[in-house]
Amino acid sequence: MTIESTSIEQTKHVAADFAKQLNGGDVVFLEGDLGSGKTTFVQEVMEAFGYKEPVRSPTFSIMNRYKIDHPSIETVIHLDFYRFEDPSEIRSLGLDELYGHRTIVFIEWPSKGETLLSVFGKSHHVVFQQLPNNHHQIIFS
Amino acid sequence: MHILGIESSCDETAIALVEQTQGTFRVLKSALTSQVDLHALYGGVVPEVAAREHASHIFPLLESLGILPDGSEVDVIAVTAGPGLVPALRIGVELGKTLAYLWNKPIVAVNHLEGHMYSVWLQEPVSLFPALSLLVSGGHTELILMKDHGVYELVGMTRDDAAGEAFDKVAKLVGLSYPGGPAVSKASLRGNSKAIDFPRPMLESDDYDVSFSGLKTAVRMYVESHPNFSVEDVCASFQEAVVETLVIKTLKAVLAHAPKSVILSGGVSANRSLRERLHDQLAITFPDITFHAPELSVSGDNAVMIAIAAAFHANKKEYANPLTLEADPNMRLVVGEVAK
Repeated sequence: MTIESTSIEQTKHVAADFAKQLNGGDVVFLEGDLGSGKTTFVQEVMEAFGYKEPVRSPTFSIMNRYKIDHPSIETVIHLDFYRFEDPSEIRSLGLDELYGHRTIVFIEWPSKGETLLSVFGKSHHVVFQQLPNNHHQIIFS
Repeated sequence: MHILGIESSCDETAIALVEQTQGTFRVLKSALTSQVDLHALYGGVVPEVAAREHASHIFPLLESLGILPDGSEVDVIAVTAGPGLVPALRIGVELGKTLAYLWNKPIVAVNHLEGHMYSVWLQEPVSLFPALSLLVSGGHTELILMKDHGVYELVGMTRDDAAGEAFDKVAKLVGLSYPGGPAVSKASLRGNSKAIDFPRPMLESDDYDVSFSGLKTAVRMYVESHPNFSVEDVCASFQEAVVETLVIKTLKAVLAHAPKSVILSGGVSANRSLRERLHDQLAITFPDITFHAPELSVSGDNAVMIAIAAAFHANKKEYANPLTLEADPNMRLVVGEVAK
């Protein structure tokens, strides 16, 4: 499904709708160039989950973890592999300890790291593209 | 007092032995994986110094410092307990706990951000409180009011990207190589900071927060729509947007909180434009406020600052239990009021 968003408000609605589809165990791969809206999208999904604290870029921290109040999701893990030079770096994260049925994971720049997660739930792919005159194209698959 | 500092909160593994004499500090020994050729030291037995391979690096690093194995030259152990990446933090924390237990020495759990604020004490003690600290690095951009040793209040922060991260990403966008921050700063010297009017998001907001993600996007859009763009002008104009935003927000916070000192810390404190502009603006508008910035060697992640921060906790006997201390990826600074 491809959506062309023409405003920040519209992208927020798109994120809120997407949030409703998420369940514990899901993994969301986010792809797109620098500045195409990946982290902003995660912020908007978290807002839709009712999370009130700041959701900041995980580029330098690599992994941010949040606890949310949700029927099937207890923990949200927000990963960013932008700074990974080698897929083997993912092993240093100990993700298998942290991931489970009640956890969802957002991964930005997933191609820079191997996916060693055995998926309990669904995996979603979201690709972001910035179009002229500040429009965004978001492709869900 | 001799403090052994250990830092492994994200990329860097660092260990340092620091001496405190009254209020001043001296580095006796210091090693960081980013600066030591461990591979050469151990003739290939240690794997390549890959990022965040703290478990492989920490013991060779400790040994390379020549710390006496009986702990006789150490009075206090200091370790970064958080915030940071859990598996990374754990390596340093477990080493610290083990040494504390075996050597029967006290251990202080230090907050990484607190460490950055204390990095300036290496050069010169900050004696006037409250101190307002602008902490800017790859992973953090925060305005913190240090009311007294160990007593903080978060005044403002970035809503999305840290300043260092913005520099890094802009470097990538204009084709400069790693490390991005110094590359952008260097290119800016030959550029016109007024060439492009990049947005200064949140500058007018009522709070002390900043935001750099919109600025990053603006740089990208500019670069894409101007195929013959000048790298120097883009860098200078971008840097100007960041520096102006940070300086204005800091001065606004100074006006509201009336600190007696201002501390600039974190890796981005090495940015000459930011350092000089903040210093100069303070000197003009608030000449009675003292300004402190760290020596380059302790501006990035390091263990010296962790040892210094710990010294102040040790002075008040604020120790952790070596049997139960745990890494805390979300460790918060202690918020509170100064005891009357």
